[in-house]
Amino acid sequence: MDKFRMLFQHFQSSSESVMNGICLLLAVVTVKLYSSFDFNCPCLARYNALYGLGLLLAPPLALFLCGLLANRQSVVMVEEWRRPAGHRRKDPGIIRYMCSSVLQRALAAPLVWILLALLDGKCFVCAFSNSVDPEKFLDFANMTPSQVQFFLAKVPCKEDELVRNSPARKAVSRYLRCLSQAIGWSVTLLLIIAAFLARCLRPCFDQTGFLQRRYWSNYVDLEQKLFDETCCEHARDFAHRCVLHFFASMQSELQARGLHRDNAGRSPEPPAVPEPPEVLDSGSGKAHLRAISSREQVDRLLSTWYSRKPPLDLAASPGLCGGGLSHRAPTFALGTRLSQHTDV
Amino acid sequence: TMDKFRMIFQFLQSNQESFMNGICGIMALASAQMYSAFDFNCPCLPGYNAAYSAGILLAPPLVLFLLGLVMNNNVSMLAEEWKRPPGRRAKDPAVLRYMFCSMAQRALIAPVVWVAVTLLDGKCFLCAFCTAVPVTALGNGSLAPGLPAPELARLLARVPCPEIYDGDWLLAREVAVRYLRCISQALGWSFVLLTTLLAFVVRSVRPCFTQVAFLKSKYWSHYIDIERKLFDETCTEHAKAFAKVCIQQFFEAMNHDLELGHTHGTLATAPASAAAPTPPDGAEEEREKLRGITDQGTMNRLLTSWHKCKPPLQLGREEPLLMGNGWAGGGPRPPRKEVATYFSKV
Repeated sequence: MDKFRMLFQHFQSSSESVMNGICLLLAVVTVKLYSSFDFNCPCLARYNALYGLGLLLAPPLALFLCGLLANRQSVVMVEEWRRPAGHRRKDPGIIRYMCSSVLQRALAAPLVWILLALLDGKCFVCAFSNSVDPEKFLDFANMTPSQVQFFLAKVPCKEDELVRNSPARKAVSRYLRCLSQAIGWSVTLLLIIAAFLARCLRPCFDQTGFLQRRYWSNYVDLEQKLFDETCCEHARDFAHRCVLHFFASMQSELQARGLHRDNAGRSPEPPAVPEPPEVLDSGSGKAHLRAISSREQVDRLLSTWYSRKPPLDLAASPGLCGGGLSHRAPTFALGTRLSQHTDV
Repeated sequence: TMDKFRMIFQFLQSNQESFMNGICGIMALASAQMYSAFDFNCPCLPGYNAAYSAGILLAPPLVLFLLGLVMNNNVSMLAEEWKRPPGRRAKDPAVLRYMFCSMAQRALIAPVVWVAVTLLDGKCFLCAFCTAVPVTALGNGSLAPGLPAPELARLLARVPCPEIYDGDWLLAREVAVRYLRCISQALGWSFVLLTTLLAFVVRSVRPCFTQVAFLKSKYWSHYIDIERKLFDETCTEHAKAFAKVCIQQFFEAMNHDLELGHTHGTLATAPASAAAPTPPDGAEEEREKLRGITDQGTMNRLLTSWHKCKPPLQLGREEPLLMGNGWAGGGPRPPRKEVATYFSKV
């Protein structure tokens, strides 16, 4: 358990590490999935290619989509792409960076599946057994073409009566497996060379742009996470106040009714003002959360966050976030407006 | 034993070199495991045998070598250090050479393991050279000249495949297999001996030459690695503080907005706390973490000058940083001091 906790902490240290961890996990799951899958070639002329190629390509597609789903950053990227510009302009470089990082991680598991399938050879043998050239193998000299095709379709099935213990089947099977493994290793080599070149050559092009894009895409990710946490905090605060308010108003109602019953003659006491919720709150750190206290206000806050993100400039006067949100009233009006409210 | 494991983990994580040593060990084990899981499948056809065996002997080691380099973060660090403009910090080719050598040495271990295991196992060698077996010496020498060369080749090519071999009248299969495997194992052990000897010589002879230069290169290469990691960590910390302050300001602005234009009576007491612009306690700490960099343009300039004009390796200088980048002279000093104290904590 300690081991897992340490490993978990190591991976949690940054969001990139978390995504790398998920990517690795998905790759391990792919390996396990492949080894536990029971490959079952139909050994019929037209269905072989369909089954073999289907099994080579459909699971990778599913794994790719899983990789995209499991990655939180894909949602962040789409949000950043589709939001209205508001006070903060959009930088296509950041969106491209996030997109490429999401795609790279999502491609790892499908590639593992394809490489395993090619190195193992069963898919390839099943799909291409009918496309083998019979001239290469002397054992087919005495058979008619249709017999040859029928035989070739049965090559992937070792236990079939027609081809059991047939040297011709073994020769064809060997040939196809060898081809499959060669293709698998070539593809692996090409991918690794591409990855190596990409890693080596990236600093040669626009390194400063890269540093900036990496910083700001990390920032967008962090900001989204922090906003979610702040909203949760606010929701908790809101719920707490709402519940306390309810209990307080219930209590005062009961008191009022009690008073009314006891003192039928006297004028009923005005219901006690419920305790201001501020007293029950803990800590002064939540001052900025308290004014937002109704459903419409919360909805408005959330829609403003989406449609008009604040500018990336903190040095503006505190409380107004650079450009203000809906309108900015001069401070002298504050006192007059409030005095109107307190009269109510 | 958990403590031991934790200690080992921490030791390996302590710097990039130790971490890479760990990865290198894991890859060597993975390489051996991969070989045993890999199903060697000799095609047993005259032209294809040699190509397949050469491929299996050479392609996976190349893949493992490049994988070892790719997984090493130092590769992009090396490329960055190589391509950056000198700025105020001169580039030292000796450091670059050291980094490259140390990366290449570690990346070579897994391929060497693969080649050694392949040769010691013998299947690959058998597949490649079965057509070159001396039939006259090992088998029925009298029958061999009677066969045309393609027929002989086709026959011998099937030696690695027991289920389709049909040349027992010419050459017993086990004899050929034993012969080739013996040569393969001899080659394998020689290869292992040679590489170990080479590694030993390089390691023990190197201190006789250029030990001082070596120590300097090692120090500065570790320094560059640690500096890059710390820079990334500082940037992440800064981004977190920036995001926190930005969100707080957003909520405060909303707060302020609502006070100015609504009709709820219960909020009459709230403005008393919000009108005074004192931020909550946590915000002071966050603002300090920002180190004075509070907008996008400034941050971008900082990142640009980190790449284009790395600071000199000399702490405690009086001239302001970023002088050439349009900053006012008096401004940067406070951040500069903070950087110095940060390093001294390390």
